[in-house]
Amino acid sequence: MFLTVFAYFSVVAFIGLSLYKAYQFAKMPMHGRWELYPVPKEPDGKGHYGGSYYEDLEWWNKPRRVSHVGEIIDMLKEMLFIKNLFVNQRRQWWLSYAMHLGIYLLGLWTVMLFVGAITELSTGVSLATAQGVNSSLWTTIVYYVTLIAGGLGAILMAIGSFCLFLKRLFNSTFAKYTTLEEYFNLLFLFAVVASGIVVWSGDPGFNYGRDIARAMLTFSPIKAGTALTVHILLLGAVMIYIPQTKMSHYVGKYFSFHKVLWDNEPNLRNSQMEQIVKEAISYKPKASWSAPHINPAAASQDKK
Amino acid sequence: MGNIRPQDMGKPVEQLAKIDKLMPLPAPYDKPGMEPEFTEPKEAWKETYCTSLDGFVANETLVRPQTKEEEEAFVQKFLSGLEKLFSDETNRNYLQPFMLSFEYCAKCNTCSEACHVFKSSGEQEIYRPIFRSEVLRKIVKKHFKGEGFWSRFTGGDIDINFETIFRLGELAYRCNLCRRCAQTCPLGLDNGLLAREIRKLFSMEMGIAPKPLHEKGSMLQLKTGSSTGITKEAFLDMIEFMEEDIYERTGKKYKIPVDKKGADILLTHNAGEYLAWPENPAAFAIIFEEAGLDWTLSSDMIGYDNVNYGLFYDDAQSRKIGLAQLKAAKDLGVRRIVVGECGHAHKAAMVAIDRAMVGEDNIPRESFLPLLADLIKKNVFKLDPRRNNFPVTLHDPCNVVRMMGIVQPQREIIKAVAPQFREMYPNGAKNFCCGGGSGFAIMKSFNFPEFRNKISSRMKFKQILEAFQPEMEQDVPKYVCAPCSNCKGAIRDILEYYQATAKFNVHYGGLVELVVNAMVQFDKPFLEFLDEDAFEHLK
Repeated sequence: MFLTVFAYFSVVAFIGLSLYKAYQFAKMPMHGRWELYPVPKEPDGKGHYGGSYYEDLEWWNKPRRVSHVGEIIDMLKEMLFIKNLFVNQRRQWWLSYAMHLGIYLLGLWTVMLFVGAITELSTGVSLATAQGVNSSLWTTIVYYVTLIAGGLGAILMAIGSFCLFLKRLFNSTFAKYTTLEEYFNLLFLFAVVASGIVVWSGDPGFNYGRDIARAMLTFSPIKAGTALTVHILLLGAVMIYIPQTKMSHYVGKYFSFHKVLWDNEPNLRNSQMEQIVKEAISYKPKASWSAPHINPAAASQDKK
Repeated sequence: MGNIRPQDMGKPVEQLAKIDKLMPLPAPYDKPGMEPEFTEPKEAWKETYCTSLDGFVANETLVRPQTKEEEEAFVQKFLSGLEKLFSDETNRNYLQPFMLSFEYCAKCNTCSEACHVFKSSGEQEIYRPIFRSEVLRKIVKKHFKGEGFWSRFTGGDIDINFETIFRLGELAYRCNLCRRCAQTCPLGLDNGLLAREIRKLFSMEMGIAPKPLHEKGSMLQLKTGSSTGITKEAFLDMIEFMEEDIYERTGKKYKIPVDKKGADILLTHNAGEYLAWPENPAAFAIIFEEAGLDWTLSSDMIGYDNVNYGLFYDDAQSRKIGLAQLKAAKDLGVRRIVVGECGHAHKAAMVAIDRAMVGEDNIPRESFLPLLADLIKKNVFKLDPRRNNFPVTLHDPCNVVRMMGIVQPQREIIKAVAPQFREMYPNGAKNFCCGGGSGFAIMKSFNFPEFRNKISSRMKFKQILEAFQPEMEQDVPKYVCAPCSNCKGAIRDILEYYQATAKFNVHYGGLVELVVNAMVQFDKPFLEFLDEDAFEHLK
């Protein structure tokens, strides 16, 4: 039963810590504008070449228009394909994308394991038996999507994380800037997926995964041998660990793009932004900087 | 010292990096002897200033303490400022973007390829955008987490000693804050911002900032009204002189409106233009008068100088000046402010100060570019592009394009008046900085101009040479159009340094000068380097 509770705990910790991280960024004070073009939400093709509403005469008298479609397309390109890395550093992209695509596929694999488990629980029939895959179309789809997503995901993630580790170790420029923590992070991810591959090698159809999902859905004990126990513990640990490190860049990326680089909302009179600004500038900070041109009293105190 | 790492910042060596193998330039500067060599820093500087980074001295207020106690106090002061960078009380304006860029760097080095300083320097490690950021991260981790294993595990493996901090203060002024690195970052992080935050810490906590930016820049502006030291009286004299100058150039008398209450437009210039390039505000006056606009200049305190050097190094100075500029407009009762050819003034007045005022104080601000593009589109002026029938290329000021998204209007204007226009590559929002950004154009202390001319402006010079490659060695005039005072200063200096004007007839100037030069009603060319005889056949 410990493994079931731990599995739930790690999922809740991953979501909870990620949300807490997002909350920490969200509650920071309103910052000054720091956008950078191209801003994809600029309409009429401006988002493509880097234009903005500042190109329009008397822009403040024009209706404010935002292309949500443009923003979503750019967001998806970045989320699904890591576009910026692909465009600007192709060599690094192959390895990085292998690892990320592996993670995405393993995310899909996890979902499919639960879909399979629900299917099995509702029909009372296993997706796969000793005779082969259950013959209904639905179960066949679920089985093979799980198989492909899990298999490909594990291989890509293993190759990606290990090759990134090796690159950081042996490329002299990368090695100069890599901390022990960053090496550890890559090895940790590799260890998780490697332990998964060991378990998978004994059960190529991922039936063990559906057993775990079923156990979680029915809140019953997960039956696991040594290899599977190690894998579940490592996987749970990495899920608890990720949001506490910079591997939580899925949170940071939202803020750095949406709340900084793409946030060019102007402060127009009688706008909602004006209300936000009004509130922000009414705040009186309780501390100050010490240089003479800012705080002459503190500066003279320092001299004494 | 080869193979430098961020941890080496505190190492007791006389000079951390020696810059020698630079990015090659295209013809005709691909031959030996076409550019001056670096000079060695003077021995006397080494005792007082920070020559121990790369031999250049950008910041003359970053002075070496005389005693160990003073060194210790210097470090402690830096660390107290460091804590303020992470506080939502003292860093309200930038905490969120700062924390994001501080926390999440994956060290993929994508930014390095985008950085003109790094590439121009022959890929010197200390100029790699993440080098500076990593030094900051390591100091922070060591300071906040101590000496133990976890500190080293997360990257806190650096010696926080005087030399580390001293060199970091100087290294903060090896970045133009052009933010091209941030444009390519897969995580949307900004090494330019981190460089600025280091500058800010030194300025706002320690009172250390280059004199041209602080003492002779924003402090002088707050005291006299302009970072040039031009007072109201001097400004009014200059306007009179400008009216006479325009008459001599065009044969037409214009009365330049000053302090006209309730005008539609308050036009603001970088006051340096009146001293260095008076033809630029003069061209604006001609254009605005010929277009029949209801406009004025301000002689009010700070109203006649739109520069805001605070943008480069200090939030408090930036805010004080920005609000004073808006007050000048409010006192005149104008409907809108139009910003002239100054890139950083564009960003300071329209973007940086945008979330600092409300209600009546929030006067609409716009760039001159869409206004001029609109006037040309409406055929308000009678223009003959043949008057500008020579190769022209356009430099995009970072603050106007990458940081504000004004890309097309300048192209519409230039295409209407310059038949031989050609782009630099890359251009628009992906342009390269002129190398004078973030105050470098006005920082002329010690040997810093050598750093600017040979390293930070090198990529721009390369782009200029490439744009003019077919005619580069022919004796036809060539014009680099730089609609920004700061960029113009940097380009002036590289053309002079490499003798490109004397040897290859390459000139530079603003955009409005090209427009006035194309106006058919004037008999003489407005651009001084042009031959008057060439205009005769156009009549």
